[in-house]
Parts: sequence; structure tokens; C-alpha cells
Amino acid sequence: MRRILEVDGEEIPVWLASTRQGHVLHMGGREIPCALEDGAGKGAYILELSGTRIPMRIAVDESATFIHFDGRTYEIARTDPADTLDRTASSASRDQLVAPMPGVVVSVSVAPGDAVKEGAPMLLIESMKLETTVTAPRDGIVAEVPFATGESFGGKDVLLRLEPQEETD
Amino acid sequence: MTISKLLVANRGEIAARVLRTARVKGIRTAVLRHSSEQEGPAHLIADEVVTIEGPTPVAAYLDIPQIVEVAQRIGADAVHPGYGFLSENAGFVAALEQAGVTFVGPTSEVIDLMGDKIRARAFVEERGFPVAPSAIEDDDPATFVERSRAVGYPLLIKPSAGGGGKGMRVVREDGALESEIETARREGERYFGDGRLFVERYIERPRHIEVQVMGDGQGNVVHFWERECSIQRRFQKIIEETPSPALTPEQRDEICETAAGIARAVNYRGAGTVEFIYAQDGAFYFLEMNTRLQVEHPVTEMVTGFDLVAEQLRIAAGEGLSATQIEIPQSGHSIELRICAEDATEDFRPAVGDILLLDEPRGEGVRVDSGILDGGKVTTDFDPMLSKLIVHGRDRAQAIARGRRAAQDYVILGVTTNLGYLDAILAHPKFRSGDVSTGFLADEADTLNQERDPAATTDILAAATVLSDARLVIALENVPEIYRLMGSWRN
Repeated sequence: MRRILEVDGEEIPVWLASTRQGHVLHMGGREIPCALEDGAGKGAYILELSGTRIPMRIAVDESATFIHFDGRTYEIARTDPADTLDRTASSASRDQLVAPMPGVVVSVSVAPGDAVKEGAPMLLIESMKLETTVTAPRDGIVAEVPFATGESFGGKDVLLRLEPQEETD
Repeated sequence: MTISKLLVANRGEIAARVLRTARVKGIRTAVLRHSSEQEGPAHLIADEVVTIEGPTPVAAYLDIPQIVEVAQRIGADAVHPGYGFLSENAGFVAALEQAGVTFVGPTSEVIDLMGDKIRARAFVEERGFPVAPSAIEDDDPATFVERSRAVGYPLLIKPSAGGGGKGMRVVREDGALESEIETARREGERYFGDGRLFVERYIERPRHIEVQVMGDGQGNVVHFWERECSIQRRFQKIIEETPSPALTPEQRDEICETAAGIARAVNYRGAGTVEFIYAQDGAFYFLEMNTRLQVEHPVTEMVTGFDLVAEQLRIAAGEGLSATQIEIPQSGHSIELRICAEDATEDFRPAVGDILLLDEPRGEGVRVDSGILDGGKVTTDFDPMLSKLIVHGRDRAQAIARGRRAAQDYVILGVTTNLGYLDAILAHPKFRSGDVSTGFLADEADTLNQERDPAATTDILAAATVLSDARLVIALENVPEIYRLMGSWRN
């Protein structure tokens, strides 16, 4: 599960994985085991990171996370690369998924003719060293998957097309 | 008279602060609220909240007929104006007087006099108090050069019609005076179509020092010592303290007595502040008098132990001052930080947002006068000041340490504030040594806006951000095993 974070104007792609030992943050080629425990008080948490425990206060809104720790307050903007895809899809048509930026198809899990449910994973792509699962924006039938595993695509390329939805009255 | 019901014609932190004292004194209270305004701390304290209307919230708080009508309708026998809005409006004072409602403050004549900067300066100068030496060409053009020379060096030549620093010239030696006057005249004609000039003493690296005064309107005036307010951005104070680290005991007595003398000269009633510009050589000059309670009055309360609002209410009720001069101590050191919703790294641009989490600092010598509630909304309808953090210590070093600790403990999440910037000012070596002037924030802008140490905190911020992202963590748990593994292999 990926996010693009913006800290002090710098964009940082990150990826969170879960293992049997807990969560692992993947960032800049490093793997950082981490855990977040509830603390006492509203928005109070204890972050466990590389063996140290850091008390902090956290508040989350739609697109930013506010963190107060060690006497300072930070604002981190969050983007879900999948949201960017969804938005592109819905603004044009709910029938096609358009790549927000160039990348490579890592795996394809659907074929033309497949029926998919909203939210079902269809493609795994990689852009900017970040993997993103392309999920179905609605229930439907897959019409076309233009790129195969391992193929590169450009920004704004159509990654997948669904059969047009029948007009409902 | 006695005040049995007080209307506070203000909002935010100052309304809450005035209401608290009124309640302690057993006075029934009411406060205003614009129809579009969110609930604030003042609305939780007042016995009564009266909704006012207006095209904008600010316009409603400036609507004299409406507010006077409210005071009469609810049976308030006195109105406290706070600061800003109608606090220095002689027309408001006159309208209340007509309606038979007591204004907690000075007479409309004194407000008028001190509100006119030129008349006020002339009044103060005529009575022998120090004003910065100056010469106005129009007074007698034939003698302008001689009168300018008498102002002394360095001096500043300004076009009479000027503004924004255009055509201003600093002259440091007599030999250059006449040619600089001619140059300034040509520039004035070019920029403003008006070559008339004005000369005043140029004060390098000035400090802003002011004195709290209180009068009973019967000729008795006391001072509550000075406040230093040199830490300003965009000509607005953001840190104030008392005592001023610049003054010797002799200078302190002199500047405080001067302020009390000016207040006595107008037979001052209520709380007021006499502002001075203080030169590095120890000279000080009258700047203006504010005829109201100041934003920064709490630092004075912390070192004197007096509740200035209680004094105001006493005076308004005709009970006079509660203390004589020798009974007013100046004990320890106090600093106020103005917490503003603004981005100090973006030229103090005001910030808006929802207050998602609010946790105020506590502890020995810590006071918070706040205008916000947890869950509230910060809009651009009003001034960006959210609250004031006031600390007291036995000396300046302890006050700074407590101020830093409290600023660091102050949690406001959801809207950008200047808390980190204020902390950086308190940590600055020049601030710590008291070596400041009104140009401090501009001169030290680079050191004050240093970014955090990225390597040390990026891991922490990134981990906390993703782990607190509920959507992400839940989605991660629901991801089919194969994708989870694929992700792991690829990283």
C-alpha cells in the first residue's frame, strides 16, 4: 500500500507492507519496521521505530496528517496514487482507467470478458518506483487490457477499458 | 454607581478574558456573537450570548447603533469594548453616554485627542514631554534648513505628501544636508507632485517600549511599569515582555514617570498605554497613546499581580484605583507569545483550517488566554491571532525557558500556526541577550526560518503518517496475499 508524502516541499514515495512481525515502511530503498500504539489522551500515540518509542499527537484530515512531537508541529500532505487514477477515471468516464504518469505493468489479473466488482484489483503497475494496484471503479465487464505484464506505458495512456455501462432510466 | 450587568462588545480571547474577571466580581455578563460565527470560549463563559447581524462579521462588531441597542435591550449598565473594534471610537462612547450606558474606558474627548496623532504629539510636546525632534517646512519655509540642522544627526528627510518610504533620505552629516534636501525635494515632486518636506531625527535600531497607565479621572494616575514590544512582524507585535531588558532602573523610572505625567495631563480615566520609541543611546520619544486595554496587558498582570480588567471595572464604577504607586510591584519577568494562524515561512500568510486537536500547555508560571476551542474553525473573517501564551519566571532566563517549554507543549493540529517560529525567536542568541530592535525579525529572517533537520525526522514523520492512515492500514489487511508478497519481493 503506497502513499506519496510531501514533507517540507519534498515528495517522498513510501510503501507500507505487513509481515508476520508487523508493519514495515519501505522508503528510499530502506526497510524500517515500525508500529503505532494508542497513547493516553485525544490523538495521542506512541510510535515505535527502530527500537525507540516516540510519544506524539496526530490528527488526520482528508489530504494531510498533522503530527506534534518533540515540541514541534509538522504537516505532511498525503497522496494515494490510486486516488489519482480513480479521479482521472471518474472525471473523464467511468469506463476507462488512465495512467497518471509513465510506468510499467507489473502484473495483470483480469482478461477481456471478465466480470469485476467495484474495488477488485485488476492491474499492478509501477510508477516512480511505487507500486499501485489499479482497482475497478465500478462493477462491470472488462473490455480491453492494452498492456501486458512487463510492458511500459506513458502518462495518460489507457490502462484498462470496461464495457460501457447501459443507460439506466 | 455599581455595574450589575456588563456587555462585552468584543469577541475571541479578549472577550473571554474580560468575562472571567466580571464573573469573579459577581457581575452578570453578556457577549456578542455574529450569526455566522462559531462558538468560542467567550460564549461558554457569558451568562448571555446576543446574536448580532451584519454584512460581514467585522461590520457587525463595528455597528454602533446595533450594539448600543443590544446594551439597552438586555439591560446592561456598562459596556467593555476590549481592544480593536469600537474600543477607541469616540462616537461609540458618545452614543453609549446618550443611551445612559457606562463605557469602560476614557472620555470621548481624550479618545479624540489621542486618536489624532498630530494633535496628540503637539499636546505632549507643549507640556514639555519628549517627542522626536522634527521640523516641518510648511511652518516657515525660509528657516527650514536651519530648523533641520537643529534636529540633529542622523536625520531623516521625508516628503510631506509621501508614504511607503519613497523619497526618504537619511543624512548623517551637516555637509550633506542642503544637497540632500534639494534631492528629496526633486524626488517628492517626481513621486507625489509635491516638493514640501518634513525632517525628523532618524533613530537607528529603535526599540518599542510602552508604559501601562491607569487613571481614575479625578487626577490620580499610576503606572504599572513598562513593556518592551520590539519583536514585530508587519508592524505588529508578536512577542512582548516586561521588564524591558534595555532599561536601567533610572531609565525605567524616568520613562514610567513620563508616561504617568502624560496621562495626568489629560486627566486620564481607565487603562491606557503610552508608547515610546527608544533609541540605542537611551533617549526616548513619545510615539502615541492607546486609550484602551492592550493585547499584551497580561505580562503586566503577571509581574504586578494586579488584574487590570478588575481595575478598569472599579474605575468605571467610580470606585477609583485600588492601589497607590508604591503598592505596585514589578516582580520577576513575563513574556507573551501571540499564537497566530499563519505561515511564518511564507511571509506570514494567514492560514485557515479546522482545529482537529487542541491541547494547551500547563505548568508553573504558564497562562493561556485563548480564543479557540477544540473542533473549531479558523477562517479569514477575523484577525489571525488564535490565543496568547503568557509565562512568568523569577528572571528573564527562567521566563524564556518556560516560554519555550510551553510553546513546545502547545498542541494545535489542523491549521498552520507560528508556534515553531515563536520558539525559534526565544531560542535566538540575540533575543536571549536582549539585543533586539523593531527590525529584529527582518534582520534575522534567515536564521529564524531554518528548516528542521530532515534526516532526523523524515523516518518518524513518514512512519507516523502511514500508520495513522486508517484507509491504508485497513486496505493493507484486506489485500490478497499474493499482492502483499509481490510488493515485498519487489522492494
